[in-house]
Amino acid sequence: MTSRSTFDRELNDLKQDILRMASLVERSLFLALDSLLSGDPVAAREVITGDDAIDNLQDDIENQCIKLIATQQPMARDLRVIITGIKIMINLERMGDHAVDIARSAMCVCGQMPQKPLEKIPHMARLVQQMVKEGMDAYVHNDVEKARQMCMTDDEVDELYNLTFQDLISYMEEHPQSIGCVVYLLMVARYLERIADRATNIAEDVIYLVTGERQCLN
Amino acid sequence: MNSNRLSNTVATVILWASGFFIVGLLVFFLAYILGQGFKVLSLDFVFGPASQGGVGPQLFNTFYILVLSLLYSVPIGVGAGIYLAEYAKPSRLTNLVRLSTECLATVPSIVLGLFGLIIFVNVLGLGFTILGGAAALALLNLPVLVRVTEEALRTVPHAHREGSLALGSTQWQTIRRVVLPSSILGLITGITLVSGRAIGEAAILVFTAGTSVSRHYPDFNPLVAGETLAVHLWYVRGEPLVANADAVAAGSAALLVLVVLFFNLAIGLPARIYQRRLRGSN
Amino acid sequence: MEVNVENKFVVQNLNLFYKDVQALRSISMEIMKQQITALIGPSGCGKTTFLRVLNRMNDLIEGVRIDGTVLLDDQDIFGPDVDVVNLRKRVGMVFQRPNPFPMSVYDNVAYGPRIHGQKNKSQLDQIVEKSLRSAALWDEVSNRLFKSALGLSGGQQQRLCIARLLAVEPEVVLMDEPTSALDPLSTLKIEELLRDLKNHYTIVIVTHNMQQAARVSDSTAFFLNGDMVEFGPTETLFTRPKDQRTEDYITGRFG
Repeated sequence: MTSRSTFDRELNDLKQDILRMASLVERSLFLALDSLLSGDPVAAREVITGDDAIDNLQDDIENQCIKLIATQQPMARDLRVIITGIKIMINLERMGDHAVDIARSAMCVCGQMPQKPLEKIPHMARLVQQMVKEGMDAYVHNDVEKARQMCMTDDEVDELYNLTFQDLISYMEEHPQSIGCVVYLLMVARYLERIADRATNIAEDVIYLVTGERQCLN
Repeated sequence: MNSNRLSNTVATVILWASGFFIVGLLVFFLAYILGQGFKVLSLDFVFGPASQGGVGPQLFNTFYILVLSLLYSVPIGVGAGIYLAEYAKPSRLTNLVRLSTECLATVPSIVLGLFGLIIFVNVLGLGFTILGGAAALALLNLPVLVRVTEEALRTVPHAHREGSLALGSTQWQTIRRVVLPSSILGLITGITLVSGRAIGEAAILVFTAGTSVSRHYPDFNPLVAGETLAVHLWYVRGEPLVANADAVAAGSAALLVLVVLFFNLAIGLPARIYQRRLRGSN
Repeated sequence: MEVNVENKFVVQNLNLFYKDVQALRSISMEIMKQQITALIGPSGCGKTTFLRVLNRMNDLIEGVRIDGTVLLDDQDIFGPDVDVVNLRKRVGMVFQRPNPFPMSVYDNVAYGPRIHGQKNKSQLDQIVEKSLRSAALWDEVSNRLFKSALGLSGGQQQRLCIARLLAVEPEVVLMDEPTSALDPLSTLKIEELLRDLKNHYTIVIVTHNMQQAARVSDSTAFFLNGDMVEFGPTETLFTRPKDQRTEDYITGRFG
């Protein structure tokens, strides 16, 4: 296994960069949700300014992948590592954007958040964060089983999203004066649901990376 | 380092010297023989009949015997060469053929002459004949022809044979249309070499074709005795009774050299041109 | 995938021994009509030997023994009534090094038709032009048809060898590393040519160049130490091989 050690090192660097990007995204997501739930605008602002770092990392990873394809003619697993790397990177970047969206919403609802409709959103947020974490764990360990299990959670998130949606609609009917705030919550729920979908995509990518088979888990 | 350079220089000098020695020797021989002979050489001498002191009949016999002997030896020799190079698989028979060829090649020509004397002159009762001389000469040429043909064919790249076979040609088509044309130069060189040797050969012919010439000139009857130039040269030098032996010998020698030279050029040049066309030196 | 998928060769349980050494071990595979099948593997893995089974070029080698069957259009090529010469006319071969005969370009291409009895001059002219055009060589040599083929460049010589083969109208074209002696540009020209040719011929190509196999072939077989380790659609083999040995070889982590 020494015949392509330079290439192996570069593939490993790629993986490390993706993991670094993932941890930045996870942190953004955590801060955005924290800001929403605690009403702290500082954290929200940190998310918005921190997104540049994620975007920069995205460019780096993209360049690395292009360079590896152009110079190393990757085949089989190597090819899958690089292609999966690109796809995970794109999903992470979108998640980062959603975290920014949540942070913006948090700043808009700051201080005027009614407690009742928030009931299900923290739960949903926990599940989504867990999915992102497990998705990346599956990626680190090439763990197909974990990737599959993690996707089960997506159904739960979807269900929570539907319930939250109905709750918020009826809340708005009962409290028309708080529509301005609750609409943001509606959007946050939607972002969370999208992030869960992105996490599911990552799980699918991990399965393709390991097995070469394409599976739709959504 | 220094000693390496020294030995390199020494080797270079020695090898150059050897080369020059050979060339010098050749030039000396040619100059000497031609110089001695040129005085004698004239149209009358070269083409005139024996009665006028010419060597015309001998010259004619030289070529006649050569052609006849090639008629025997080329088909058999080249055929055996093709067999050994193209068909023969390593087996006892192949080894036997090769061994026989080599044995035949090492037999001294005088022994072949005596053999010819026994078979053609005595057993078959033909007496001294051009036919017998040619046959005995063919025995001398045969092994060389086999060897030369085999070598020439082996220089043709195996890829050419495969290329031809892969197009669905038979082995014989491959040999005839690809291998032989590609090795023609080697073959011609071989035949020229053999011919040169045959022209200069005396020992065999003394015992088989005899030392006299027919009264008719030119005489195409293969069943009469026919003395060749080389035999004539030997005869003249060995027989004290011949008039102006020195001049005749010198002239014959010069003529012999010129004939061989002419023969080489006449066959070798067209072959070389043909080969160049095949190889495409453009 | 609307292509008419039909077998050209069916190889069943083929074993090949060279003296006491087994060079191929129970190979079974199907080679599809009008497809390009690539054989890859490290040196000495048996891929070239296998290729040479298909037109019985191994017959020329002393000490080769073969068992198993190779069916060409349902006929066993080792059957007693098979004429090897005729087989090689149907299954032609292009070699690793260009091997044009030392004769003119025209005579090279006309060689095959001539040995198969074509004497008509105008017919030969047509065949030569058509074959040279099919081999994408006509434009380059039409003004030097009667000069020696050995004056052509390596890439041109190899295309000439392909033209020479096409002139006998084979059904299958076997290629033994046809570009290993050529520069990259000539290589790409030949690869492009292969894609054109596949509409009319079944092509089997042995190559050391994995990218080449990936670029040109429809199916790829990976050979290792006389075994056929894996055989499948090129796209699958190069993106998700089933066997770890294939994976190691094509990702360059072999040995």
